[in-house]
Amino acid sequence: MIKVRIPTPLRTLTKGRGEVESAGSTIDDLIGRLNQAYPGIKDRLCDEQGELRRFVNVYVNEEDIRFLKGKDTALKSGDDVSIVPAIAGGC
Amino acid sequence: MPPILRIPNSIVGAMIAHARELDPYECCGLLAGTPGTVSRHYRITNTVAQDARAVAVFDEADVKPLAALSESTRAEVAYFMEPKEMLAAFKDMRARELDLTVIYHSHTHSPAYPSMTDVGLAYYPEAAYLIISLEDKTTPDLRAFWIKDRRVTPAAIETI
Ligand SMILES: [Zn+2]
Repeated sequence: MIKVRIPTPLRTLTKGRGEVESAGSTIDDLIGRLNQAYPGIKDRLCDEQGELRRFVNVYVNEEDIRFLKGKDTALKSGDDVSIVPAIAGGC
Repeated sequence: MPPILRIPNSIVGAMIAHARELDPYECCGLLAGTPGTVSRHYRITNTVAQDARAVAVFDEADVKPLAALSESTRAEVAYFMEPKEMLAAFKDMRARELDLTVIYHSHTHSPAYPSMTDVGLAYYPEAAYLIISLEDKTTPDLRAFWIKDRRVTPAAIETI
């Protein structure tokens, strides 16, 4: 099982839970499974092309997946995945 | 009624110093504490201030006011927190059992009010958004806001 940390704005989809467990062989697979358990979560994480939104940071064991293999990053049981919205702004 | 945010004078001074250091670029960072009282300050690197090309990230957000500006100008009016430093700060907060209380950034050319982009990208309803304006370089102006579902309300701050 993989532990997934859910940020506050997405907890309306996870019945208020800040941490959920899921299976998944890659980030892509994990997001698909999360979406079955918590419908709508995929749309919040990915754009229409299915790519991860740039204002969402995803980490596997504290490594930003942009510096791993993105959505193809492999997962194994015991991994920690954190979903953390970016903090940004501008005029 | 959200709590009044109590922020130590030393942290207010440190945020203003941070803003002045990065001027004309925007600085950004996080404050943590117990509900209502700030006790810890984290400076976070603004990737846009470091490399103007990092503003490309905003293209996806379809941010109209930014799109009209050149890359170098946009870099002076935007911030994007370095993801790894952000995660390290959140981890430190959990280890110390502190909550994220404030997300701050500076405005070097405009007043201390959240912009359309600031509001559109406010994903943390539990934190107050604090802005340090250096529009008047001699008199920094600090104001904080709650941003929930794109609605902005003032947050009361008290320096202690
Ligand atoms: Zn701003």
